[in-house]
Amino acid sequence: MMASSNPAAIETRGLSKHYRKVTALTEATITVPEGRISALIGPNGAGKTTLLRLLAGLARPTSGEVAVLGGWPRQDPAFLADVGFLAQEIPLYRRLNAEDHIGIGAHLNSRWDGASVRERLQNLRIPLDQTVGTLSGGQRAQLALALTLGKRPRLLLLDEPVAALDPLARRQFLAHLAEAVADGGLTVVLSSHLVADLERTCDHLILLAASHLQLCGDIDTLLTEHRVLVGPAKDTTAIERDHTIVQAVRTARQATLLVRGKAPVIDPAYEAADVGLEELVLGYMGQYAAPAPAHLTMIGEDQ
Amino acid sequence: MTWLVWRQHRNQAYVAAAALAAFAVLMLITGRLMATQYQSARAACSASHSCGNLANTLVLAGPWASLLVTLTVVVPCLLGVFWGGPLVARELETGTSQFAWMQSVTRGRWLTVKVGWALLAAAAWAGAVAAIVTWWSSPANTLEQQNFQPSQFDIQGIVPIGYAVFAVALGIAAGTVIRRTLPAMAVTLVVFTFLRLFIGQNFRAHYLTAVTRTFSFLQHPVVPKGSYWLVSSGVIGPAGQVTGSPVHGGPTINFGGVQMPIGNLPQACQTLVFHDPTSFRSCLAAHGYHAFITYQPADRYWAFQGIEAGIFVLLAAALIAVTAIVVRRRDA
Repeated sequence: MMASSNPAAIETRGLSKHYRKVTALTEATITVPEGRISALIGPNGAGKTTLLRLLAGLARPTSGEVAVLGGWPRQDPAFLADVGFLAQEIPLYRRLNAEDHIGIGAHLNSRWDGASVRERLQNLRIPLDQTVGTLSGGQRAQLALALTLGKRPRLLLLDEPVAALDPLARRQFLAHLAEAVADGGLTVVLSSHLVADLERTCDHLILLAASHLQLCGDIDTLLTEHRVLVGPAKDTTAIERDHTIVQAVRTARQATLLVRGKAPVIDPAYEAADVGLEELVLGYMGQYAAPAPAHLTMIGEDQ
Repeated sequence: MTWLVWRQHRNQAYVAAAALAAFAVLMLITGRLMATQYQSARAACSASHSCGNLANTLVLAGPWASLLVTLTVVVPCLLGVFWGGPLVARELETGTSQFAWMQSVTRGRWLTVKVGWALLAAAAWAGAVAAIVTWWSSPANTLEQQNFQPSQFDIQGIVPIGYAVFAVALGIAAGTVIRRTLPAMAVTLVVFTFLRLFIGQNFRAHYLTAVTRTFSFLQHPVVPKGSYWLVSSGVIGPAGQVTGSPVHGGPTINFGGVQMPIGNLPQACQTLVFHDPTSFRSCLAAHGYHAFITYQPADRYWAFQGIEAGIFVLLAAALIAVTAIVVRRRDA
């Protein structure tokens, strides 16, 4: 357990999930402190949805430990009240309208903020009396998001929440999310396979690839720990003494290395540069892409 | 949760209520007509002392009303297929279970309320239909004394409630395990029909030990009172051999409703069969043969109804228990 002054909203240790034939998540050890907006990034099939479902208690881990808001994800009204989960498929009752869904929320939740849901939907000009089946994909996503927020959870788990939104709606939604987190008491994990969506809003990163955790931590810290070195395509043993080479792209004369490690690079042959989030993410994902690109789309492929 | 269940299924409830009301009105009209018809026929025959033959001469119900009543036998199956099958399966299929299960209500409570109302509604609906059918059939029951006939037994009294509860529970369980609506409905249809017929044909006669009575051919045959259920009847030989078993081929004789091969009877008596029935009986008696009748007495009707309804309710309870375990344990 972490110090009580800064408790973790999410802590997992060696968390794994196997399905009959595939491994969806392998030995993931993750910490997300309270009050963060964490970007869960990875290619399709990396295990993002599995991780979110394990955290929400919708799936049971095969092995490992998981603590969400200080407890095991369990079927218990108090835990469920604290966790908001929005599945990628945006499941809503197609034949009911928004007002009905607000009613469901009011009847099934001990703390419920129907007024804010209505206000949000009215601002977005989403009709409350039209059945969900007749709403557009974007409207459905907005409705589902509003309903998830209406629960006033302490932890929000959103699976690809912005995928169905147009660019303007994305920006508005993420700004709204940042506001809610700034008000306090809320931690968010949202998944995406696009870094650009999340860079502006998120301050924490969980990077998954092929069911394995690649990175987990504060984004600023991670960025300061990584550098891109450009230099001659020679033996890199000297660099590897102080740094881990995440990714190396070599041409006949030049090597571009993404390295992790705080120590300064002494060799004057290399030019060091800071990395951006996108570069960092692509570097780690590239590891998997390099030998055979097909690996990215296969769950459970061991590297 | 009740609010959600009502909001999700209120249209179904309205349709079911309307259908029940229409059925009730139809049955009320034809049923009252039948009751007066029966009473006047009864009055007329007792005036002329000819009531013994009333069952053969009086046709009570019109063909359409009779057909409708006969068709109520499929009510439990329909409830199972159309209410039970989709109840959980549709939520799992469309993913709305993930929405419901992430509200501040446990899956256990979600299932309890949903299943509770579904079973209650099915029991009430099937019970109402059965009550109407039972009332409607009362003149015919008095007249024909055929209450144990499957065509009557299966649609009257309380067994339809047991069937309906079981069918809906089966639909729910199939939907939960299969997670797809249409296959769940198909499985419900097949399994329910099979099990219902299987239990009716193989177990019903043995719920209580049947009463067997033997009597001499020189006496009047024993005819139990009321609408008893004839399990078997025939002839017992001197060595205890039952000669009532039906045999294919060869000449037979009808005795107490059972076709018996003449070849099984003593040689000396066989020739008398067609010429002199009285001597034939004396001959059988003289050779040590007795007649017997095995039956379930009429006063066991409600016991049988209760036992059969109970069996189906217990099966339903087992299915619901399995459903609860699967819903709570399996990944959403």
